[in-house]
Amino acid sequence: MIEKMMKTQLFAWVDKRTGAEAIIKSQLTEYPAPKNLNYMWNFGSLALLMLVLQIVTGIFLVMYYKPSAEATFGGFTVAFDSVERIMRDVNFGWLIRYMHAVGASMFFVVVYLHMGRGFYYGSFKAPRELLWIIGVVILLIMQGAAFFGYLLPWGQMSFWGATVITNLFGAIPVLGEYVSQVLVGGFAVGDPTLNRFFSLHYLFPLLLAAIVGGHVHALHVVHSNNPEGIDLHKPEEMIPFHPYYTIKDAFGVAFFLTIYAYIVFFNPQMGGYFIEVDNYVPANNLSTPAHIAPVWYLTPWYTILRSFESKLIGVLAMGGSLAILFLLPFLCRSAVRSARFRPVYKIMVIMFFIDVIVLGYCGHSAPTPTLKIVGQLSTAYYFLFFVALPFLPKFEKTKPVPEGI
Amino acid sequence: MKLTNTMMAIIAAAVLGFSVPAIANEGGAHLKHAEVDASDQAQIRRGLGVFTDVCMGCHSAKYIRYQSLMAYPEIGLTRAEVDELRGDRSLMSGMISDMAIEDAISSYGKAPPDLSLIVPGRRGGANYIYSLLTGFEHDPEGKVPDGNYNPIYPGGRIAMPDPLSWLEHDEADTAEIEKQAQDVAAFLTFIGDPHQNERRAIGCWVVGFLILLTLVLWRLKVEVWKDVKH
Repeated sequence: MIEKMMKTQLFAWVDKRTGAEAIIKSQLTEYPAPKNLNYMWNFGSLALLMLVLQIVTGIFLVMYYKPSAEATFGGFTVAFDSVERIMRDVNFGWLIRYMHAVGASMFFVVVYLHMGRGFYYGSFKAPRELLWIIGVVILLIMQGAAFFGYLLPWGQMSFWGATVITNLFGAIPVLGEYVSQVLVGGFAVGDPTLNRFFSLHYLFPLLLAAIVGGHVHALHVVHSNNPEGIDLHKPEEMIPFHPYYTIKDAFGVAFFLTIYAYIVFFNPQMGGYFIEVDNYVPANNLSTPAHIAPVWYLTPWYTILRSFESKLIGVLAMGGSLAILFLLPFLCRSAVRSARFRPVYKIMVIMFFIDVIVLGYCGHSAPTPTLKIVGQLSTAYYFLFFVALPFLPKFEKTKPVPEGI
Repeated sequence: MKLTNTMMAIIAAAVLGFSVPAIANEGGAHLKHAEVDASDQAQIRRGLGVFTDVCMGCHSAKYIRYQSLMAYPEIGLTRAEVDELRGDRSLMSGMISDMAIEDAISSYGKAPPDLSLIVPGRRGGANYIYSLLTGFEHDPEGKVPDGNYNPIYPGGRIAMPDPLSWLEHDEADTAEIEKQAQDVAAFLTFIGDPHQNERRAIGCWVVGFLILLTLVLWRLKVEVWKDVKH
């Protein structure tokens, strides 16, 4: 189909002015991709899909949403009322809003699996260090965007989550107090906070779109890693991205959308994990919820924060646990990429995945002494994993790596 | 592929674990199961009756306009019925209680929460509402006055004084009060998300279509890939 389209006169006219043919060839029909990529390589295109869906649904939500914490009848606010108006009175507003709220969680599901793939198959190793680093920047901006967005409905968890997190900045010496006041726009979370969070919630996805462009560009320079983690040279090991991976990604998209649609239409709150129960209660600065927890995708880092008695050390540990992701390509020094041929790393990385799930569970649950210890041990392993990586090649006997695929 | 299977198993386990809804409320009290059907017009209408006769003495449901009592097919009142309910209030007005919030605070010490979102906004949802309304007891320690002790409510002391007169009701009335509590729980479940039935109905078509699309694209993928040798 593409070949046919490229033979038309219209295309020739466009091509003369844009070089479209060269782009299509180098990026799609002649872009070489390893032929042995498994389904773990589908999550990149799914993440792009989710970014687009979030931006599109978000644009429609903004047409009706009103960022104002002004009180209305019955202890509600203009912002909360406008969300309920979207849910009840706007035609298919409920659909757009549930797509956006569920979409935020599904975006993180996809991105965490995408990162897990990179961890397991060593996709962050040379020559893909910068590709990984751009990816970590995307993760941080995503987490920021999600955090800002969660304040907008002005529910109890919106309000108290923002209060807890913005207070954290106060723990930073010297500048902390100032940073926290600038972020909040005053001394406590209120109407100015809602307005600046709304502004940033609109800005961050635009940043994301630009940086994702950089991420894809960086990928197309160094090309995809593969499950064997070896460099491929022979032409018979490669297949063109189009049509092979376009159709495989399309299949992945349809499969993923089926699960996504099932959640949106039949279980949008996901038992309080995707939309928290307390966020159906309007924000009230005089009544703290029994248990404040962020949404699931931020809970692993929340556990790391809570694992330390000192607030400052907790904040540093939480920041460090994200910052250390930048260093991963340089900490992991083994010449072998894929965990398939690294028996010790394989166990360590699977334990790391379980560890992050345990951290997430601890952060989501009401704190108990047992969970606190579990959380602290998991935090310790989180950092131990990264610290041990540079020493691994000294004793790990890697399996022989295949010549080709 | 072996690894992918392991990963899929982990993901599946995580997703299943996440999707189990919370059954207990904050207080940890065990909730009774409410027979509630948010698409049953008869039950929702009975619940609406309980709501206007009892709950609206103090509580409002500001997001439900009188007009929507006609517009939502799940309720489907006639104009005459709505006119009788609303009195001199506007058709576009929300269902607001006659009791001023200040009066409620001075009588009961607390503003009665708006009930539009009470089901999605409480752990246990309809089960919680049903259990709470039929959960009033005498305080075993005798500290909380009768009508304010309810072990279902977090902390056990509730400002709302036994609206359905559950405490010391006649044995013969048990079934009737339980039915009223379930009916009003059904009404509150419906108004918590008034498009839920439409959502599920559309969802069947959307998910059905996507399953078909997935199957077609899967066969197409297999077809396109058949000449790639591994």
